Amino acid sequence: MSATGIGAAVRRKEDLRFITGKGQYTDDVSRPGQAHIYFVRSPHAHARIKRIDTKTAAGMPGVVGIVTGAEFAESKLGNLICGWTVLSKDGSPMKMAPHPALAVGKACHVGDPVAVVVADTLAQAKDAAEKINVDYEILPAVVDPTKAAGKGAPLIHDAAPNNTIYNWHIGDHDATAAAFRGAKHVTKLEFVNNRLVPNAMEPRAALAEYDAGTQHLTLWNATQNPHVARLVISAFVGIAPENKLRVIAPDVGGGFGSKIFIYPEEVVCLWAARQFNRPVKWTAERSESFISDAHGRDHVTTAELALDADHKITGLKVKTVANLGAYMSTFSSAVPTFLYATLLSGQYAIPHIYAEVDAVYTNTVPVDAYRGAGRPEATFVVERLVEAAARELDLDPADLRKKNFVKTFPYQTAVASLYDAGDYNASLQKALQIHDYKGFGKRKRESEKNGKIRGIGFATYIEACGVAPSSLVGQLGAGVGLWESAEVRVNPTGSVELLTGCHAHGQGHETTFAQLVAERLGIGIDQVNVVHGDTDKVQFGMGTYGSRSGAVGMSAIVKALDKVEAKAKKIAAHLLEAAEGDIVFKDGKFTVAGTDRSVAWGELALAAYVAHKFPTGEIEPGLKETAFYDPTNFTFPAGCHICEVEIDPETGVTSVVGWTAVDDFGTVINPMIVEGQVHGGVAQGVGQALLEHTVYNDSGQLVSGSYMDYAMPRADNLPSLKVDMTVTKCPSNPLGIKGCGEAGAIAAPAAVMNAITNALGTEKIDMPATPAAVWSTIQQLNKTRLAAE
Amino acid sequence: MAMTMSGEVQLNAPREEVYKKLNDPEVLKACIPGCEQLDKLSDTEFQATSTMKVGPVKARWKGKVTLSDLDPPNGYKISGEGEGGVAGFAKGGAAVALSEKDGGTLLSYNVEAQIGGKLAQLGQRLIAGAAKKMADDFFDKFAKSVNPAA
Amino acid sequence: MPTVSMKVNGKDAKADVDPRTLLVQFLRENLRLTGTHVGCDTSQCGACVVHVNGKAVKSCTMLALTADGAEILTIEGLANGAQLHPMQEAFRENHALQCGFCTPGMIMTAVDIVHRKGNNLEEHTIREELEGNICRCTGYHNIVKAIGAGARAMSGEVTKQAAE
Repeated sequence: MSATGIGAAVRRKEDLRFITGKGQYTDDVSRPGQAHIYFVRSPHAHARIKRIDTKTAAGMPGVVGIVTGAEFAESKLGNLICGWTVLSKDGSPMKMAPHPALAVGKACHVGDPVAVVVADTLAQAKDAAEKINVDYEILPAVVDPTKAAGKGAPLIHDAAPNNTIYNWHIGDHDATAAAFRGAKHVTKLEFVNNRLVPNAMEPRAALAEYDAGTQHLTLWNATQNPHVARLVISAFVGIAPENKLRVIAPDVGGGFGSKIFIYPEEVVCLWAARQFNRPVKWTAERSESFISDAHGRDHVTTAELALDADHKITGLKVKTVANLGAYMSTFSSAVPTFLYATLLSGQYAIPHIYAEVDAVYTNTVPVDAYRGAGRPEATFVVERLVEAAARELDLDPADLRKKNFVKTFPYQTAVASLYDAGDYNASLQKALQIHDYKGFGKRKRESEKNGKIRGIGFATYIEACGVAPSSLVGQLGAGVGLWESAEVRVNPTGSVELLTGCHAHGQGHETTFAQLVAERLGIGIDQVNVVHGDTDKVQFGMGTYGSRSGAVGMSAIVKALDKVEAKAKKIAAHLLEAAEGDIVFKDGKFTVAGTDRSVAWGELALAAYVAHKFPTGEIEPGLKETAFYDPTNFTFPAGCHICEVEIDPETGVTSVVGWTAVDDFGTVINPMIVEGQVHGGVAQGVGQALLEHTVYNDSGQLVSGSYMDYAMPRADNLPSLKVDMTVTKCPSNPLGIKGCGEAGAIAAPAAVMNAITNALGTEKIDMPATPAAVWSTIQQLNKTRLAAE
Repeated sequence: MAMTMSGEVQLNAPREEVYKKLNDPEVLKACIPGCEQLDKLSDTEFQATSTMKVGPVKARWKGKVTLSDLDPPNGYKISGEGEGGVAGFAKGGAAVALSEKDGGTLLSYNVEAQIGGKLAQLGQRLIAGAAKKMADDFFDKFAKSVNPAA
Repeated sequence: MPTVSMKVNGKDAKADVDPRTLLVQFLRENLRLTGTHVGCDTSQCGACVVHVNGKAVKSCTMLALTADGAEILTIEGLANGAQLHPMQEAFRENHALQCGFCTPGMIMTAVDIVHRKGNNLEEHTIREELEGNICRCTGYHNIVKAIGAGARAMSGEVTKQAAE
């Protein structure tokens, strides 16, 4: 391993600009003469818009224009779409209701934009917005997903009777039922997987500019996938032809899924920039983010696990209601189905699984993919059930897991996924050892002496990353293929521009991608410049989400590098007057095998462009190659997380006192960055389990809509983490990478709740296990105990 | 989800007089916290402009004040609702009951308040306190208008 | 419009501002110092922390006019030319940033913690002192490590300066 090659903990190239305040996020970009836009949003969860009076506002200082939803609709633009069609059990397609960028006729959630003000300054836009009078007729609202399809619930969209988007299922119903009939033991649990607000620290932002001379629109946008944004805005919304629209995703301050989607705000900014022939900027205020960024999770689930006399798992039954909010966001339909139920086998050989998922509309902010997207929900179901089953059967939860692990690969699960490689026992064993599992009893007794209750919990999770094989997702209803592209441009001096369709918003691609290219070409990482996030510079790419950049994005780079090497060898053969087959490329040098005749990388690059005396019929000048890589399977990262908590029964405060993570991500390019991804994922998972709660009241008001009420994990909510790895390489991609971005968030909620329920001695507590919830549970248990005595 | 609370205040005046004052626009205007303007539309309806602050959100409200369930001299219900522009909306009311006590009148009230939009997003935690303060202010001022010396 | 003047990163800055202009808006919009970020609207996240007369302040909680006459240090002014401040170096060395958005506020807060609490910081002290800074990417693990290391490196800085 070289100092900067694959496997080296290289310090990040991108850091210099961020630590010196020179990052360029969307809101840092300003264009001459730019105006500002302010969105007037519905304060009601469900209300008919009777009239919008903009007259006074229109005359306010600095106002450039005011547009209501009804006026915007006159532009005849297309609606926002959900790009993944899911079919119901009866074969009927999901019921997708229209989602106009600005609400027309009625508002369906608090925060639904109903009008916009464009003004010279933001303050003027806000002042004018204050003078807009919207006459609402308040309608009854439904926020509880379990009530949305029930009798008496108000209908949100005519297109979706009973507010039901689909009733989907997977697996063999009858075989699973038979497994349960034959079961020796059944463990049944009910869960709420709490709704979360992603809260990337950079609020979403958009800046649109129109060049009337070329009729070209440019959008700077905090997005994870600029090309997909351009495609949807062009092909479905119809703002401008794709070749007249440039989308730039500059530095993006975190995404976690929430910046994958195509939102109303960027559409309206683009439209307004052309309409008023001025650059138009919008940056969300945090309170706007809370009511306009797609939320995550929000499942209500009943699940049962069947075991035989030998403690082998024989079946799993799951019934989930998924809340998709007031409109279907870009990938919302796929999250509680293909990204969720296909992982319900966990790390276990479960012969029969049957899962049903009902997706419903409610008068809440749309719900879509958030770090893990379906997989944390699946892991929570499986891992809580297995842990509870072990307790009911008085078994060590580690032993019950070991007994049921998938041990031979490839393994075809009962829910479509084909696990390609793994060693689940290895990661569990390593985690037990690092965590000092054997010493838990002693630590628990120590805690007891101090009046505290200690608990330990596991999560042996699996996830599917590397989205995704295009033909497979096509069969499942995806509107796009999910391959990735790369272009390696060698400059005449031998330095390289690497253009990737992935987009980094914290993942460190400028470093890791450079490590890969530098090692392969035998050049320094400083000679590799990674270019991404600009549709005018980079060919079509699918962006970054689903832990795909390593497994899919880097595979595309490898493919492009293969082509570069092949062509370079051709040139080398010509320069060295040798046969192409005799050329060996190693350590940045092309050598004729068995001789000392060689040409260095830099000389070759120069020769490729100088091209004197090239047999141009055989060798084109230049050295630049493009590749599109389409994965053949998902990748299946897996691992074991162990959480240890200490609860203060007097206050209900849960402290996470120990965390061990042993993950198998396949090949690791940069362990420093991978560990960082695990840290961040775990923090978000601990946040979900202990702190974060998105609370809507009965009338559909979001009452945890700021950092005063929505408890983001702070530094003192978390411990230092022990992070380690085991490696089984992914067999389906050239580097053997599996992906690491979401693992922490997938494993952590189950691990924390398994630890808390272990400490408390009851399975009946939902996330987030806030001090109030834990304290009440303890009081309830004490009462029951007293009554029993 | 509405916030509810109740309270009572002893007044040194007969019920009839208290009831009359409860219907007097001038008295109401002086007592409604933050009330800048109160225009009578009918005997039971008023157009109001007031400023209200809940936690970090402060807004100028335009809305209606309505008197209903009139039962002289036993009590009535006073309600108000308004849209505060981008700050959201607020609705609230108090059922007021008057009973004879200790030679005067015992005024008891049940307050209900509901907020929405940005106000609820940022101020839900504070609404109970804010509503209590507003109700207390209202009935304190009202008590003073009935018993100027007190 | 009233005039406000202050010294920002050692340079005089003066402008006519709308009285409601916040210090962070003044820095970002008038002076184009966009390293100071806005991550929330309730003064919780700490992305906007700068030093006002040597003390860490959330620049979204202060009007530009309130800072009239003050000396302001932002992330852009922390390094000594091309030589990074030890805390900046520690953040890079310990991978204490991912998306980079909270980083300027974190670094400015970290330097302030060292000024107040000294160069030998215990982990729990750092974690408690970071209560007012939110990071969504790193899980704080490496930020805590970086601040400990940066604090120690800053003591070297002091010695070096004294020697010069």
